[in-house]
Amino acid sequence: MKIDPHSHVPIFLQIVETVRAAIAAGVYRPGESLPAQRTLAMTLGVNPNTVQKAFDELERRELVESRRGVGMFVTDRGTVSARDNTLETVAESFRRGIITARDANFTRERTRDAFEKTFRQEFSKTREPR
Amino acid sequence: MTSSDSPAIELIGLTKIFGEVKAVDALSLVVPRGTTLGLIGPNGAGKSTTIRTLMGLSTVSYGTVRVLGLDPAVDAPQIKSRVGYVPETHLMYRWMRIQDVIWFAKSFYPTWNDKLCRDLINLFGLAPRQKIKQLSKGTLAKVSLLLAIAHEPELLILDEPMSGLDPLAREEILDGVLRTTGERQCSVLFSSHSLGDVQRMADNVAMLYEGKLLLHCPVDELLTSAKRVRAVLRDGCVPVWRPPEAIWQCVERREWQLTLHPCSEQLLARLQTEFPVDNVEVTDLSLEDLFKDYVKGRRKLA
Repeated sequence: MKIDPHSHVPIFLQIVETVRAAIAAGVYRPGESLPAQRTLAMTLGVNPNTVQKAFDELERRELVESRRGVGMFVTDRGTVSARDNTLETVAESFRRGIITARDANFTRERTRDAFEKTFRQEFSKTREPR
Repeated sequence: MTSSDSPAIELIGLTKIFGEVKAVDALSLVVPRGTTLGLIGPNGAGKSTTIRTLMGLSTVSYGTVRVLGLDPAVDAPQIKSRVGYVPETHLMYRWMRIQDVIWFAKSFYPTWNDKLCRDLINLFGLAPRQKIKQLSKGTLAKVSLLLAIAHEPELLILDEPMSGLDPLAREEILDGVLRTTGERQCSVLFSSHSLGDVQRMADNVAMLYEGKLLLHCPVDELLTSAKRVRAVLRDGCVPVWRPPEAIWQCVERREWQLTLHPCSEQLLARLQTEFPVDNVEVTDLSLEDLFKDYVKGRRKLA
């Protein structure tokens, strides 16, 4: 896990995103615990209050649940929800590209062409995931 | 004795005058218990003066200072025993060995924790028999931090703890501070020029400029609510007013750039209806950029 202290993204959100991606990838499975707040704060080199804030957010998104005095555990639907969240992240990146095109007065067709060209380029250099 | 529910630090209208210069100008600030405040600002903004006032090393011209509910002008000895302080320049007898300095410091603190001290010696990789005068800048900073935290203070005050250190020494100092805050709910105030360190360590950030408080808010709130806006002005148009939320702005040819804090949908909508602009683009800013914009914005106003 790595965080960027110079980013414009608040650190607690960077932690949320990293943990979410780890849950989506199956690093932490439903019923398993996340690393303890203090351990994680030390590993990442960040303020423990910031880690707590990230845990609160993950709990709000129902990816994890806290068990009093024990720690944070991935919920039964955690993996599924974390993967749904990935879709949102992907959609958000597309949205940004569309806005850039619109600001430059691209037509619908030209925007679509740009997307498909990028799409073909990317998929020709990487192998299809399973 | 004071109750433990008084804030870690409370400043009300703190003013410090040196001759004609107001080094600190009506500064009011609260650091709640268990939180970490990062104090930033250009050189000469009043950060060190404020810190020295907290430790009773500098007198107050006007205003009130409370540290753990105590007045530094009256209770400096008690404050010193409950606060860990890492000054800008480390004052230690150069002829002593590390182990002597530790023994010397220990005698002042009834709350000194020998096990914690040993842990810190290991964490920092210190050689107790080494002489102070032989130490590198980084090692000296580590010894200074060890002396400040081995007595388990309720509050830790650090004046530019990581300036001039190599990246590894920085990490070790950071580890030492985080360990203290994590395990003991210690409150922290530190000044720094490294905004990356502020983002990692601090819950709240306070920005000083020419002795005045420009900004005091949670770091996360600042990063999410401040935005840079870039708009293209239509031919022959100039912005006729400046929104009060603009901390900095710049017009060059047809490009109008503004940094807004706080930025809102309503404000953006208003900009687009009241100004002849096209292609409004909104981007996020790093703490570094925000700091620069705040300072540049201030200089322009002056």
